Amino acid sequence: MRKIIYLFLFISLQSVAQNKQVLYDFNNLPQTLLLNPGAEVYNQFHIGFPLLSQISFQGGFTGFTTYDIFANNGVPINDKIREAINKYGKAEFLETNQQLEIINAGFRLNNNNYLSFGFYEEFNALAKIPRDLVDLFYEGNSVIGRHYSIKKMAARAELLSVLHVGLSKKINKKWQVGGRFKIYSSVFNANSKQNSGELYLENGTNNIYKQYIDNVNFLLQTSGVFFDNTDVITQSYIQKKLLFGGNLGVGIDVGFTYHPKKHWTITGSILDFGFINYKQNVESYSVKGSYEVEGIQLNFDPANPETYWQNLKDDFDNQVVLDTIYTKYSSLRPIKLNGSIAYSFGRPYYDDCHFSKELDTYTDKMGLQLFSTVGAVHSYLAATLFYEKRINKYLQTKITYTADPFSSTNIGLGISTHFKAFNMYLAADNLISLSNVYNAKSANIQLGINFIFNKKN
Amino acid sequence: MNPRYYYITILSILITLTSCTKEVDFNQIDDVNVHAVYTSTLIYADFTADKFLDNNNNEITYSTDLIDAPIDKTTIKYLEKVEFTLIISNSFNRQFNFNFNFFDDAGQLIYTLQPTVVVAPNSEATTYILEIPTDDISVIENTRFFGFLVKLEPSSDGSTLDGTETANLNLKSSVKLFYNYRKI
Repeated sequence: MRKIIYLFLFISLQSVAQNKQVLYDFNNLPQTLLLNPGAEVYNQFHIGFPLLSQISFQGGFTGFTTYDIFANNGVPINDKIREAINKYGKAEFLETNQQLEIINAGFRLNNNNYLSFGFYEEFNALAKIPRDLVDLFYEGNSVIGRHYSIKKMAARAELLSVLHVGLSKKINKKWQVGGRFKIYSSVFNANSKQNSGELYLENGTNNIYKQYIDNVNFLLQTSGVFFDNTDVITQSYIQKKLLFGGNLGVGIDVGFTYHPKKHWTITGSILDFGFINYKQNVESYSVKGSYEVEGIQLNFDPANPETYWQNLKDDFDNQVVLDTIYTKYSSLRPIKLNGSIAYSFGRPYYDDCHFSKELDTYTDKMGLQLFSTVGAVHSYLAATLFYEKRINKYLQTKITYTADPFSSTNIGLGISTHFKAFNMYLAADNLISLSNVYNAKSANIQLGINFIFNKKN
Repeated sequence: MNPRYYYITILSILITLTSCTKEVDFNQIDDVNVHAVYTSTLIYADFTADKFLDNNNNEITYSTDLIDAPIDKTTIKYLEKVEFTLIISNSFNRQFNFNFNFFDDAGQLIYTLQPTVVVAPNSEATTYILEIPTDDISVIENTRFFGFLVKLEPSSDGSTLDGTETANLNLKSSVKLFYNYRKI
């Protein structure tokens, strides 16, 4: 089992959105079960406030900030754009993720396992923009011999709903494992991944230059984006698609919590290991081929006039083929990996909040978390140091320091309050940027209200 | 609840929900100028003596050709200037004049690039830059046909071309499109 843990941590280190580092393993909140189905929850029963149990928003761009471009500092905007582009990496990515829990509830079974279930809506979008395309737009293609590649260009966007049911099972004092089964219903999807090909200009033989489109292989798959005449996008259309009238898929989450020693806790989870089968309103576009041209050779022969432009266009169309595809496709969900190692200390905390005196119920906890998302469009890794403090039975806090592709100085804060069964939590990061929100490369906030019942409630 | 913790909670929530901003000015977007230059290969041709002779070996003064190229006009509003580069070599012992003309849908001449390119006799590869300046750029919107005219000028000594002559007039070209993406 230890080997599995090491393997998991290694995989996390090798790979990569939707990092909820503050919420992860925080205060035994029911929502932690969505980040690790093997998380420990001590309550008997919980129900989230409908539509308010978790509102989550995350967004970011690794390239530059709003303040980089629009700061009112006397520097001409064109100079600021130039500066931002000079700092642009080989590829930067733009990501946004929004989740809204409609229902979230759970209860403890007679055998002490905890069954949780719910339904949430999610929108996510990610675009990976290579520097070559930025330069092509910003400067043009006039650098002879420079190859502009679309290899790093990728994007995905999806609106879907997720119905889920999970079980968290305590095996013994050291081990807790869990799993969650999910049914996805996608309203729309668009994705473009694993593109390749180059565009470049070189000195020619018969003409000044020769232009190349080399081995272009581009695929954009869409479902629910383009419609025939029978479908119209209305509120009821979206509701119908969200309520399992969309493209369906299945997935699982698995996770564990392990206490190797009294004060130590190791956790891990793999989320959204699954796929969606897209059958409805599918319309995909493929471009494949190579083309090279030195220009149009004029014959100056009035007796035999040529349709130069049409010939050129036909030749291009024959060699670089644009296809519209209507066949169904499947797409794997971007897999999320979480892992943590934590040390609990301080005074043991036994209070009315918990019917069970668990191993890690100490007032203080600190440790390391790793998060990674692995997908065909983009993968990345985030590492978080955290300190969690149970101030009293009403209030628990968590402070995080995260390094990820957006920032290496990301400070987060989580607050969870309990007043009898009423629970309210708020988790947000990038607090340093609160002094100037326009200078934040990313923002991440989750908040919600639950009713959590212990034995005495 | 201990009042101290109550205040800590309220303060923490306020810190999280209250944010500051340094001054930004989104109206700067109106000042954005993105200058991009796209280079494309264009036409090329190689003229031998027979191009300027009829079946009876009489000189033809004008040699012309035409490209029917419907232009995609979506980006023309951002086009600031068009610059044509011609590289011409001439091993004939004769002068040629070259004109690049623009015609509308009805075939009417609406624009001629200036100046006329004068290719001297026995000249090495020479680069000529011709441009459509910003003031004239709208002409492209109405252009449907691009016409090329090569005029053989009379010789100074009265000699004429011979069909067996091995000399040639070689033309290479490219075009640079200067865009300024304003109000993106």
